[in-house]
Parts: sequence; C-alpha cells; structure tokens
Amino acid sequence: MQRDKFFKEVDNLHHPNETLVRTHCSYCGMQCGMNLRVNTKTNKIIGVEPRYDWPVTVGKMCPKGVTAYQQTNHDDRLLKPLIRDDKSLKGTKLGFREASWEEAYEHIVKNFQKLQKDYGKDSLSVFSGVSMTNEKCYLTGKFARVALGTRYIDYNGRFCMSSAAGGFLRSFGVDRGSTLPWTDIHETDCLFIAGSNTAECHPTSMFRIWNVQERGGYLIVADPRETPIARRADVHLDLRPGTDLALANGILNLLIENGFADEEFVQNHTNGFEETKELVKQFTPEYTSEITGVAPEKIIRAAELYGKAPNAVVMFARGIEQQHKGVDNVSAYTNMALVTGKIGRAKSGVATFTGQGNGQGGREHGQKSDLLPGYRKITNPDHVKEVCQFWGITPEEMPKPGVSAYEMFELMDQKVIRGLYLLCSNPAVSAPNLNFVRNAMKNLDFMVCSDFYLSESAEFADVILPTVTWSEDEGTVTNLEGRIIKINKAQEPLGESKPDWQIQVELAERLGKGKYFSHLKTARDVADEFRGATKGGYADYSGATWEKIEKQDGVFWPCKSEEHKGTPHMFLDKKFYHPDGKAKICALPYRPPAEEPCEQYPLRLTTGRVVYHYLSGNQTRRIQFLRDMCPEPYVEVHPETAKKYNIEHEERVRLFTRRGEATYKVKITEAIRSDTVFVPYHFGHEESINLLTNPALDPMSRMPEFKACAAQIEKQSVKKV
Amino acid sequence: MKKRLYLELENCIGCRSCLAACTQCGGHEERNRNYVYDVNPLVNRQTMPLMCLHCVNPACARSCPAQAIQIHETGAVLSALVEKCIGCQNCTIACPYGIPKFDTEQNLMYKCDLCIDRTKDGIPPMCASVCPSNTLQWLTDEEIEAKQKQFNLDNGKWVTSLPYLESETNVRVNLPGILQGVTKLF
Ligand code: SF4
Ligand code: SF4
Ligand code: SF4
Ligand code: SF4
Repeated sequence: MQRDKFFKEVDNLHHPNETLVRTHCSYCGMQCGMNLRVNTKTNKIIGVEPRYDWPVTVGKMCPKGVTAYQQTNHDDRLLKPLIRDDKSLKGTKLGFREASWEEAYEHIVKNFQKLQKDYGKDSLSVFSGVSMTNEKCYLTGKFARVALGTRYIDYNGRFCMSSAAGGFLRSFGVDRGSTLPWTDIHETDCLFIAGSNTAECHPTSMFRIWNVQERGGYLIVADPRETPIARRADVHLDLRPGTDLALANGILNLLIENGFADEEFVQNHTNGFEETKELVKQFTPEYTSEITGVAPEKIIRAAELYGKAPNAVVMFARGIEQQHKGVDNVSAYTNMALVTGKIGRAKSGVATFTGQGNGQGGREHGQKSDLLPGYRKITNPDHVKEVCQFWGITPEEMPKPGVSAYEMFELMDQKVIRGLYLLCSNPAVSAPNLNFVRNAMKNLDFMVCSDFYLSESAEFADVILPTVTWSEDEGTVTNLEGRIIKINKAQEPLGESKPDWQIQVELAERLGKGKYFSHLKTARDVADEFRGATKGGYADYSGATWEKIEKQDGVFWPCKSEEHKGTPHMFLDKKFYHPDGKAKICALPYRPPAEEPCEQYPLRLTTGRVVYHYLSGNQTRRIQFLRDMCPEPYVEVHPETAKKYNIEHEERVRLFTRRGEATYKVKITEAIRSDTVFVPYHFGHEESINLLTNPALDPMSRMPEFKACAAQIEKQSVKKV
Repeated sequence: MKKRLYLELENCIGCRSCLAACTQCGGHEERNRNYVYDVNPLVNRQTMPLMCLHCVNPACARSCPAQAIQIHETGAVLSALVEKCIGCQNCTIACPYGIPKFDTEQNLMYKCDLCIDRTKDGIPPMCASVCPSNTLQWLTDEEIEAKQKQFNLDNGKWVTSLPYLESETNVRVNLPGILQGVTKLF
C-alpha cells in the first residue's frame, strides 16, 4: 500500500438510507477512485462521494468523474433490444422497433450463419473497445475466435494506445504503459511531457505534476498549443504538429554531446547506442529548430534540464502517438531515458498517459487482431498451442491474424467483411476519414451494435443490444500505471440490459458453441477463466485475485502467483524483456507527417480533447453539466492567422482538407502556433472533425495520423436574410 | 483540528470540477455556488476560481435586512434561510466579490455554505475534495503557515488573507506568483 504525503485520513459523508459502493471512474486511464451513493430503498445510484482512501487520486476527480454516475439511470438508456427491418434507414436513428432478447438473438444468429455459409467464416468481424473490464475484453477475443471463428477482430485502441504499445515492445520488449507507479511522479526532479494535454485529459495527475515545480523541480512540455500545463512549464517546446521525432532526436543528440549519457548503463543494459549516436548527430539545435519550429535555445535548455536532473520521468500521450510515425516517436522519446540511464529505479522512468479506462489491460488479452490472452502472439505457434489447450480447441481451429481497426473498414468497403458486431466503441465519430468509414458501415450486409445509448455508430446497425454501464457489473481494469483494480457493481442492470460477457455467452450457445462458454455464469466465473488464460504470458494476471486487489489497493502486473505482490516498478533489476535482457536504443531517421501543408492546404490541423468530454462523446455529451460547459466543437485559431483570413472570434468558418469539410465556430487564442489550427474530436454527424483527418497508418502500430494533416479555412459568405 | 479552505490560484487548470462537485452537495439542489473565470481567454488558458471567502464580518450578512444570512460557529457564512429571505438582493450587491446568487423563481438568495453538512463534521468540502490541481485545498492553520514559509515571495508580499476589500476572511488565498519564491533544486 503506497500512502504518500497527499493521502489524508478523512471520513466520508454518509447519508442515512444510503450505501457507498467503492469503485472507480468509468472514463479515462487515471481510473480515479470514487464512491457511488446508492439509495437503499430504491437500490438506485443517486450520486457520488469522493474516495479519499484511493492512493492514486486521494478523492480527486475531474468534472467527468464527478458526473459519471448520471449515466446509469439516464433517460437515453437503451432498455430493450432493438431491431430495424428497413435497411434503407441505415445511418439514421429511424425505423427501430423493440424486440425480445430471444428474437434479437435469433435474428443475429440467422444472419451471422447465413453470411458465414455464403462468404466464409471471415466475412464476420468484431470491433470492440477498451472502456470495459479485462474480463469482457478477454471474452470478446475468445468470442470472435471460438464462437464466430473469424480472424477479423480489432479494437479502438488502434486509435488510442497502439503506438505506445509498439514503441515499448521495441524498446523494452514489454508493453507496460508506465515503468513506475504514479505515486512516484511528484517526487521526481524533472518531468519531460510530450504531446499530452494532461490538465484536460488526465486532470487528476496535475496535483502531482505541480508538486514537482513546488519542490523546485522542472517541468518541460512539448506541445503545439500552450495548454494549461504548458502555460506553467519551465520550458514549453512549441513544436509544429507531427515533428516530434526530430525534437526527440535533437534532444538526444545534446544529451550525448554534453556528456549526460550513462556509459555504464548503456554498455551493460542496452543495444544500439553507437548507431543511434551517429544518426542523431545531424540533429543539431539549428537543424532541429528548422524542422520543429522550436527556438534552438529552448531545445538546449530542455536537454540541459533533463540531463542534469538526478531523477526524471519522460511522459507522453496521443500527441506523439497518433502519427504515422507514432511508434518511432515513442521509441525516440524513450531513448532519452535509456541513454541517460534514468529508468529502472524509483522516481525515474517512462510512461504513457493511457487514454481509455482500460486501455492498458484491454490491449493485452486478445482483442487486438494479432494478440491472444496474456500478451501472447497469434503468430507464435507455441502461444497458439497454449491458448488452444486452455480453450479446448485445436490449433487448426484458431483463426489467423486479422487486420487493424481502420483496415477493417477498408475490407468492409471491399465486401470482404460483410457483417459486424460492434461493442464498446463509436467509430462513426472516432475513426479517421469518416466519410469513408461511415459509408463502409452503411454498406454492410448486417451489423449488430451493443451499447447503452444509441450512439452515432448504432445508427448503422440492424440490431442494437442494450448493454449495461460500468456501474451495473463488476470486474477488473488495469489503470495507466499498470495497476489492476476492481470495478464494483452498484446497481442491478436497468431495464432488460445485460453485461456484454453475458450477451456473448448467450449468443455463443445459440451459435452451437455452448460447450466453450456455458460454464461462465457470473462475472466472477469469467474473471477466474481470464486469470488462468493469462498464466505464463508476459502480461501474467494469474496472481491478481480480487481479494488481493482489495487488500493491497490494486496489483501491478506482472503478478505470476498468489504469493507474488505484483510489480509497481519495472526493470529494478535492470533486466529488460528482450531475449538478451537488454533494452534497445533505436536509431530513427526523421520522416515528416504524411501530409505536409501546401499552397492549397497551408495550415496544419491537429485534433484532441477537452476536459468535459470523453472519446466520441457518446456518454459525456448526454450529461447536462458537461454539455453546458462544452456544447459544440470549435476551431482554435491564432490571432495572426485570423487576421490573414479576415475572420473573427465566434464567427463560423468552413474548415476543409482533401477528405472532408465541416463548419466551426472560431475561437481566437494566442495559445496556439500561427501555422496550426485545433478542433476537439468528441462530436458526431456533421460536427465531426474526423471527417477531415488523415487515415495514413503507422507501419507498425497501424495508428492513423489524427494529429497532423494539411487543411484550409474559408470565410463563409455572409448570408442574406 | 480546525481546517480552512485555502486557494492557490496559480494551480488552476480550468477544469471546472469544483463547479460540478458543488452541484453534488446535499441541500445544494444541484446548483453550483462557485465560479471559475477565464482570466484572458483570447490570449491564454489561465483560469481562476472565485469562491466565497467566508468573511469574518461579511458584507452580505450586514446588508441583509431580514437576518437571513447566518454565520455558523465554524465561521461559514451560510446560504439564505428560506423562511427569512425576502428576496431583496441587497446581499448580491453588498458582497464585493459578487458571490451570492439569486434564484428569481424562488425569490431566494443562495450561496456557498462551505458545504456545511460536511465541514461541520470535519469532512472536506466537495470542491476542495475533487480539485485535481490542488488549487482548492482544505488545510490546518499549521499547514497554511508552512506554505507561507515555503513560498517566501521576494517582494515581501505574502498575499494570503491580507486585509483586502473585506478585512479578515476565513478562507486563505494565495494569488498567482506562488512559484516565485521557490528555490530550484539544481
Ligand atoms: S475521467 Fe479520468 S481524470 Fe476524470 S475522474 Fe474519470 S478517471 Fe479521473
Ligand atoms: S476544480 Fe480546481 S483546477 Fe478545476 S477549475 Fe476548479 S479550482 Fe480550477
Ligand atoms: S436576498 Fe435574502 S439573503 Fe440576500 S439580503 Fe435580501 S433577504 Fe438577505
Ligand atoms: S465549499 Fe461547498 S458550497 Fe462552497 S463552493 Fe465549495 S462545494 Fe460549493
């Protein structure tokens, strides 16, 4: 149990006729602790009470967390299965009729079986998400491979975490999002944070981050915008979107040149140093400045501070990862820690700010097209054998690897994939190049969507299955530290809604695969099977029992046995997970963004989040408080740029790229580069900025380049009334 | 041990979680009683909360012709008593910070009561509990004094609770500039 200086022994306010259910927020990777207030007469969730006893967040929550409970009994909840018979209404909210679960299941099974009979097993696909428990993520992978027998399964982490995963695997041989617990962060001497709008996307990290400065430590932030965290940074590296790789190489070059390399560490625990040293030589401050647009003095200062700091942590997020060189960016920033040896000890290390609640756990256990439980590879025959044995199928029955999330839409467009089971995701808002993606969904022969609200993606479905919110089921998630925690059930499922694991078991039974699923009668049953399935994998959860999680405030994986306490700090023994035990320092040549500004599209468009909304906004846009705070998207424009285009604050302008266009209200601010514009992505239909974004994929992680493309603004002609 | 609301304005990230949290207090009828302002919205992202300072001799209560604004033994300046408030809105004008809000439908003033149902039993107020940046904190006088020593401003102006517009307040405020006095580690 880590009890640090922020922890205070405080009682909760306990109203009569109420129970407090200890749990965590439904939204981001911080997984802030919270108590849900449940009325003991109605057995309904009625409010929230801080959870002061949670060591990571000590009662703190952002406005999403404070209002998260309002999702459960919201008027928009789907309470019964819905079927739409008229396919011409696809892409609208119209034409759905209520149906019984039995009718919905029958309809699904009939259509799934027909498609597979006519077009083969792989004509079906599963698209899932990681805002759900490990148990559900695990079972979704098993459902796709065993119940449907399709190779096409992938998930929304391809739009979120996959570049971090790829970079960590390459650098360390293992992908745990943070090499150290969050309770270390305020004790470090220098934080280098790249591409993370932390104050808005992971707000409850901020009290620890500010504390570094209060103690006299330094904060360095790399971001094209002067975000709330960049505003107070000691050095703000205001780079052009999509140029991180040059910045990271430039800083590495200075670290090496100025003698900050830890020779002993580099020699004994890493490979690739000499080659990388050669490569980064060309990235002088001047050359780096030319590419990134950051003043050379700032680059020099940042390298000096990081180099001198006795302890330092490098952190990053989607800003550097959602690029078509996202994996390279991750490895390049990770190089800083490997070259200086600031890793594998307390208060130093590398971390990504995991976006989704279970972005870490959800990617480890087989929802990804090439992965099986416990981070096993579907391309590794030994791994396949282990999992087949556990599931009771033969290796021949195990489908081959599939394709990544965005590529699934390409296969839908080509009619290779004809059916889709979508759950826990809203790609009609969150995928790039939405005109294409929405059209691919519209042209599917058959689509099932499981959600608790009628999302923009559900508008394309033939059948909608009402699932539960996070508060009506239990299970584990893995937070951004790599700490496995427990989500508890506070209320019975509303209406006829069911948890996704139960839906999958019942569907599997009707698909004739009951013998692999029917034993799963409770969330606990799924949990026990899940832990067993991870045993022996990299991400070994087998020792992370619910009891242990409760007793020691979570369990950091790997946790290989009942006796093992878990692993808060990675690599304390300086052993990395590559076969030779060494980490890899990577020589990474610079590549510009896939689409650079040109005469027709002279601006750089970048996208991101606001503090009031989560992902596609399907949940948060329905919460009154959050909606009031941010009802619609906007485009941030620097005053100089606004002047050039003759546009004013709050005026509506047309923003367009090679792929699409949308109209946004202008928000003028000096807190952005003058060559860059920014739009938050949480909004649907014609407000979606992803109509404009570029689907250029990272060659390794298959992450689309949400963070940089070329755009143009046009003043709207004044309408005559 | 008596604790006070303490504000470190320079920490604010504008998340407005304090507003969301204020709607969640018992007896708050889901209406928040605090404010967060964009300091210079066209220029940068600086924000700051504006909270009731719980003045020792509060102008709102002084101005009230109906004795509707009571002062709790903890020092909290409470929201208007429903049965006494006549809706004259004197208090909304008298308060130099514009804290009291007015509900025209109910003809009733409402304001921050320092989450009295929590703080009377030593439980931190909602806003200070959730504030992710530690702009709002709930501290003992000793802790506040330690802060004062830590942030030894070179201009000699420790800004907390100086006699401002309304003399002594129960809430302590540290204006932007807290990091000025910090000695860097290296
Ligand atoms: S959204 Fe994230 S930061 Fe906000 S309360 Fe939930 S877990 Fe915490
Ligand atoms: S909760 Fe704290 S950081 Fe957020 S707006 Fe309020 S005072 Fe500022
Ligand atoms: S509005 Fe109510 S509380 Fe305010 S001064 Fe008038 S009577 Fe008093
Ligand atoms: S102390 Fe309580 S009533 Fe006052 S602003 Fe904070 S949450 Fe609202």
